Amino acid sequence: MATDVMMPRLSDSMEEGTVLKWLVEVGGEVRRGKPLVEIETDKANMTYEADTDGVLLEVLAQEGDTLPIGAVIARIGEPGEKPSGGGAAEPPREQTEAAPAPAAAPSEASEAERPARVSAPETPEPARAASANGGDGRVKASPLARRIARELGVDLAALRGSGPGGRIVKADVEAAAKGGATAVQAPPVEAAPAVRPQPPQPPQPPAAPPQPVPAGEVGAKGEVSTQELTRLQQTVSRRMAESKATAPDFQLYMDVDMSRAVELRARLKEVSDPAPSFNDMVVKACALALREFPRVNGAYRDGRFELYSRVNVGVAVAGQDALVVPTIFDADRKSLGQIAREARELIEKVRAGTVTPPELSGGTFTVSNLGMFGVDRFSAVINPPQAAILTVGSLKKRPVVDEGSGRIVARDTMTLALVCDHRILYGADGAEFLARVRALLEQPLSLAL
Amino acid sequence: MPVMRYREALNQALREEMERDQRVFIMGEDIGVFQGAFKVTQGLFQEFGEKRVRDTPISENTIVGVGVGAAMAGLRPIVELMTINFSLLAMDQIVNHAAAIHYMFGGQAKVPLVVRMPQGAGHQLGPTHSHSLEALYLHIPGLLVAAPSTPADAKGLLKAAIRDDNPVIFIEHEWLYGQRGEVPENGGPMRFGEAVVRREGADVTIVGISRMAVTAERAAEQLANEHEVEAEVIDPRTLRPLDLDTILASVRKTNRAVIVEEGWPHGGVGANLAALIQEQAFDHLDAPVARVTGADVPMPYSKPLEQAAFPHEEHVVHAALSLFRDL
Repeated sequence: MATDVMMPRLSDSMEEGTVLKWLVEVGGEVRRGKPLVEIETDKANMTYEADTDGVLLEVLAQEGDTLPIGAVIARIGEPGEKPSGGGAAEPPREQTEAAPAPAAAPSEASEAERPARVSAPETPEPARAASANGGDGRVKASPLARRIARELGVDLAALRGSGPGGRIVKADVEAAAKGGATAVQAPPVEAAPAVRPQPPQPPQPPAAPPQPVPAGEVGAKGEVSTQELTRLQQTVSRRMAESKATAPDFQLYMDVDMSRAVELRARLKEVSDPAPSFNDMVVKACALALREFPRVNGAYRDGRFELYSRVNVGVAVAGQDALVVPTIFDADRKSLGQIAREARELIEKVRAGTVTPPELSGGTFTVSNLGMFGVDRFSAVINPPQAAILTVGSLKKRPVVDEGSGRIVARDTMTLALVCDHRILYGADGAEFLARVRALLEQPLSLAL
Repeated sequence: MPVMRYREALNQALREEMERDQRVFIMGEDIGVFQGAFKVTQGLFQEFGEKRVRDTPISENTIVGVGVGAAMAGLRPIVELMTINFSLLAMDQIVNHAAAIHYMFGGQAKVPLVVRMPQGAGHQLGPTHSHSLEALYLHIPGLLVAAPSTPADAKGLLKAAIRDDNPVIFIEHEWLYGQRGEVPENGGPMRFGEAVVRREGADVTIVGISRMAVTAERAAEQLANEHEVEAEVIDPRTLRPLDLDTILASVRKTNRAVIVEEGWPHGGVGANLAALIQEQAFDHLDAPVARVTGADVPMPYSKPLEQAAFPHEEHVVHAALSLFRDL
């Protein structure tokens, strides 16, 4: 008896997933607990392990296909077994109305039909945008074309429709199945030249290079190549736009004297390899300050303040061609050394693409550091629904006026910025919090307590 | 086979059924001495007398009500209404009584009544005389609805209607009255719920209702001659019961459907049929189900406007071709 493998829910916010790579070939052996398929969720790329032993009978979701949670993506069963399962590939049952009679009204017959049809599982269509179809990612094909494509194993997304409005019709699928994936067989009427409207042909430059003609005209920007967003990029773009559109944000900047922190790090280097970084110190300082300022460790949500009991500091990391924010949970209760080890581990996972959704969620505050790129100070977009994000600029020797002597001296300094959601944090709240972070960094031994 | 007009075929059916069954009688406005506004009852008054061919006052609800009572009491009345528009005056008797009585009394009473009436535009009779309202009657359970488009079907289905124990709404057509066609000699009653394929074809199914079955057939010839599209034309002949199987079988073959009716688009016969087709043949459709209907306006009196307000062959041709390509 074959077992269906369904698109798993790999994170709380996941609604659909993209199959990146099958790690077992059709016919290959599947072992419970062994990697089966790589799936891209809204948060990360995950390796999904089989939960049963057997043979991979059938793969229903091809690499690149995006399917909702619960959709059948493969079947596992005994060697030699036919993939039967829920009949996804079976043609729908043909139903006709009962013999017409006064008492058997059409509406009654169709009512009786309904359960039978609903219970027949549908094979999910590939949801990728097709070249000839609308920008909403849906392939425009007639119901008949879809059915035949399913039966013949033709990928609709690869076809160009010859029907009205570019709809893929039966003839297109049959032509593709016969060979030539984009071959388009004209329906009979189109053979009549008298009534056939000629589609306007874009004028070809006389010495056109033998390259694929880009969609649309070549304008002042040259040829346009478009890139589909990864799920991660989609998530980032959606959440960042949502943040800017909803959170009235303001920025507070503060310089921090890092001389003692530099000194401390030099000492730590003698006893620990690797030593905690300055960023780790910032994370620890923020965590301690967050404990004292509950609203900074909160969120404005649906007209209320949410205050969280745990202090979970997210650290923004560039990786996977996007921005990822792994979380250091309970950072206020962890030692500087522990924070340093966890942060290093998480950053490596992000760069290797093995970070898991649980490690990317649950943050109550975010720290973002561009100091290593030489950025002196910068603003950032709040990671919603968090109340604030703290940015860290470059640490270097800068001329400052020494308060005691009144002379200009060179001192290790660094500029922090706190970007606040004004719906929950007001100017004075943010300033007090930021001053507390500065005080902790200027007396870094307090971070070791 | 003898060739006769649609009105003559109806007249024959009435005469033969009245000869066959003494319980059959006719009531209506000007059907006796005047022999009918459209001469369907020609000669019947002279032949059967005023007891069985009764002229009535202008009182549609009353005439139908008398028919319901007579039918319940054991007679087999045929009520002629001058146009389908006037039947709206009798909606209470038709819907609340004729259609419901068999069900209200647990089957103890039956209403073997036939209400005959013509519909249709084209004679500049304005909005109170020219509508096509088969969809109204299709809506009502308890009624049988026939809408024959040929003299042979008119005769065979009227005979069946008279012999049926259910109330029958028998929809004739003013334009069809003068159309000629072959009618089998000594033909008996036809069966309700049997559609006919008027023309076979593999590319698109065209379902035509009432007069539009004729329009659909002419459009199919044009599609074949000028556009190399072979249309299959189906005339359902009766709307209740409906021979959906024949329509679905054709759609499964051609993968495309056009429904042509003279009535209005909203809640029309085509709207209903399109829903049934997509429910039961969805995976066979290579294009959306197309409808060609009368314009969504009360029928204009002006001749050019009236002509523009109901479907002609070119509308059907256009709708069929639009299922194959952008027009």
